[in-house]
Amino acid sequence: MSIIAVYNIKGGVGKTAASVNLAYLSSQQRGKTLLLDMDPQGSASFYFRIRSPKKFGTKKLLKGGRHIEDNIKGTDYPGLDMLPADFSYRNIDIALDECKKSHKRLGKVLQPLHEEYDRIILDCPPNLTLLSENIFYAADCILAPVIPTTLSLLALEQLFEFLEEIGLGRDKVLIFFSMVEKRKKMHAEMMRSLGKENGVLQATIPYSADIERMGIYRQPVAAALPGSSAAAAYERLWHEIQDRLVV
Amino acid sequence: MHQPGADTWYLPDGLRAEALFSALTAEFGLDVAPAYAATVVYADSFDWRLYQQGYLLHCHGRCWTLYHGDSGEITVQQGGPELQGSCAARDFPPGQLRELLEPLLSVRCLLPLAPVSLSGRQIRLLNRDEKTVARMVVETQQPTGKGVAFRLVRLFGIRGYDHEQTRIRHILEEQGVRETASPLIGFEEGCLALGRRPLDYSSKFVLELDDASTARQAMARVYQTLLDNILRNIPGVLAGWDSEFLHDLRVAIRRTRSGLSLVKQVLPEETVDRFSREFGRLGSLTGPTRDLDVYLLNQDAYLNRLPPALRPGLQIFFADLGRRRQIEQKKLARALRAKKNRAVLTAWHRALKSRDRQPAPLAGIPVKELGRKIILKRCKRVLRDGRALNADSPDTEVHRLRIQCKKLRYALEFFSSLFPKQEMQTLIRHLKKLQDILGGFNDLSVQQEMLRLTLRDLRTGSRRNPELTAALGGLMQSLYQEQQELRTHFTEAFSQFGDPETTALFHELFRHDQHGRAKSAGHNEQ
Repeated sequence: MSIIAVYNIKGGVGKTAASVNLAYLSSQQRGKTLLLDMDPQGSASFYFRIRSPKKFGTKKLLKGGRHIEDNIKGTDYPGLDMLPADFSYRNIDIALDECKKSHKRLGKVLQPLHEEYDRIILDCPPNLTLLSENIFYAADCILAPVIPTTLSLLALEQLFEFLEEIGLGRDKVLIFFSMVEKRKKMHAEMMRSLGKENGVLQATIPYSADIERMGIYRQPVAAALPGSSAAAAYERLWHEIQDRLVV
Repeated sequence: MHQPGADTWYLPDGLRAEALFSALTAEFGLDVAPAYAATVVYADSFDWRLYQQGYLLHCHGRCWTLYHGDSGEITVQQGGPELQGSCAARDFPPGQLRELLEPLLSVRCLLPLAPVSLSGRQIRLLNRDEKTVARMVVETQQPTGKGVAFRLVRLFGIRGYDHEQTRIRHILEEQGVRETASPLIGFEEGCLALGRRPLDYSSKFVLELDDASTARQAMARVYQTLLDNILRNIPGVLAGWDSEFLHDLRVAIRRTRSGLSLVKQVLPEETVDRFSREFGRLGSLTGPTRDLDVYLLNQDAYLNRLPPALRPGLQIFFADLGRRRQIEQKKLARALRAKKNRAVLTAWHRALKSRDRQPAPLAGIPVKELGRKIILKRCKRVLRDGRALNADSPDTEVHRLRIQCKKLRYALEFFSSLFPKQEMQTLIRHLKKLQDILGGFNDLSVQQEMLRLTLRDLRTGSRRNPELTAALGGLMQSLYQEQQELRTHFTEAFSQFGDPETTALFHELFRHDQHGRAKSAGHNEQ
């Protein structure tokens, strides 16, 4: 069992697209997978056409156990389930703060799910909060999509600093370049200067209309357009992540 | 954890699939996939190894599908060999399917079962977001060669959409879809048409004896069960599907012989004498092929015992064994087909069925008393010989104890249904541990002996001989070492079986109590 958190402090970097597609690819390989939509906006839930159950929210999430299990929904794809997000997650930090051992609560809540699922993928909201800290503790791998621009790198530095501060270090972090535009010189240069560093994956996700249109057809691009270059890019990314997780 | 499974019903004769669909569209969006139709052949090992684990496997030409029988969920779909007669897990190309099949099937091969024509459509039921809330399959299953076709509706729930599934069930019921069906009806009926039933064969000896029967009646049932087993395995031996047919055939013959020597004065003496001789002869006919099988099955393990430099020599040896096996198999098949040997089995069947002209002295005693007496006697022998066993015991004594254990084991199995189940399992488990060590020790002896004979018969002068000799020498060394190592485990292996607790259990279960004695005395007077 492994927990992969797809995370970046910055928004709009392709986190949800990556979570949705990687979760789908994971389930296609005989690995029972759970996608946890942690973002109150609920974009991942939207992509899978799953609405938040009426009586589900922050409180139930943090209680865990049956409260989570009863609210897990099957997606359209065998082997892939999801826990949809709820709008109440926007105040999750306040609720977390009231918990005992508030920075490790999420890990504890996810623990029993290990029995049923081979992999859990977390689609995280873009900020640096008590919830993020929880996620960092719980995850085996923090997967950070990065657009090859200066501001994105700055955000990455902030993440590393924060991880040092809470004493986790950067070993868990895997970085991949997202929304890459080939014709942009800056993208190419940024990728070249960073590409050789530890924890940077070789597979990149291009900026692609097929991925943007996921909001319209509401399926993972790897399922809707399995032959597309975007789908192939996610597949390469997934293989590389798996190789890293095994070692 | 909540995991909605599948439900299956018969589609009523008057109800067309389209009518059902239109009833469902009142509440759900429907995504109906194009119709499919194919004749598939189900396959499993003779002893249902896949079915036992909840799997079903079928092939359509070279396309194989493995899925879970209960949920209908496909585990893996992949290309493979064409199924003609039989095929083994190693005939599949490397990949997921082979990885799954190899441990499940082990040495057993796949045999074709029922050919069944499947045709139908898959339907996704959608909510207002066009999210799938359930899947449905409307399918017709028709075993080939049978007039009947089974029309089924299967509903597959999706987690978290219980409310919608309740609605779907309700609509189905309104449409008259009420009678539940086995989702495997086509498979089951197809097997029946071929004279087979799932789980109708197991290499284990299972027989429920009737407490009230006499020794003669019970032993006839034991022998008849073993005879059925012999007869069922012969076709597989003749066709050479896999080595287990011969193995099981031999075990059934050995059990029969053991019975004949363990259980005295229940069948008439001349019957026992005649068939002890005949089954002894049948058993020895099957020996050479089986010995070669044991070697060939261990090929990889043997190669791994040798340093790489010596392996080519061993490959020569195995190629040779393979050829010898072919020759022996032919001889064996000829012998099994021979009228004389067929006649033995028929005569045995007749002897078991008919009334004895002169009943043997113990024929009329209650079977439980017979079982008690035999098991206790066997147990005493094992304990006596076992206590004498230590790391320095000569091979002949180890061998003798092994045979004693075997006899006790068979006696326990013959009569096990007459005694408390759990206690019997405990005894058999302890005994099995001891048997495994002794059996392993003996196998190593036999193998070394065979190597010694092979070396002795090697003619000098051939160019490949030095290589072969070196390999066999290396192998002998490795086998000998393992055998010596096993010796140090003798005392430990026996300790559990011979401990006071187990011994007490034996006495408690099988000692003649006063009541039993009185009863048996009454019988003898009659």
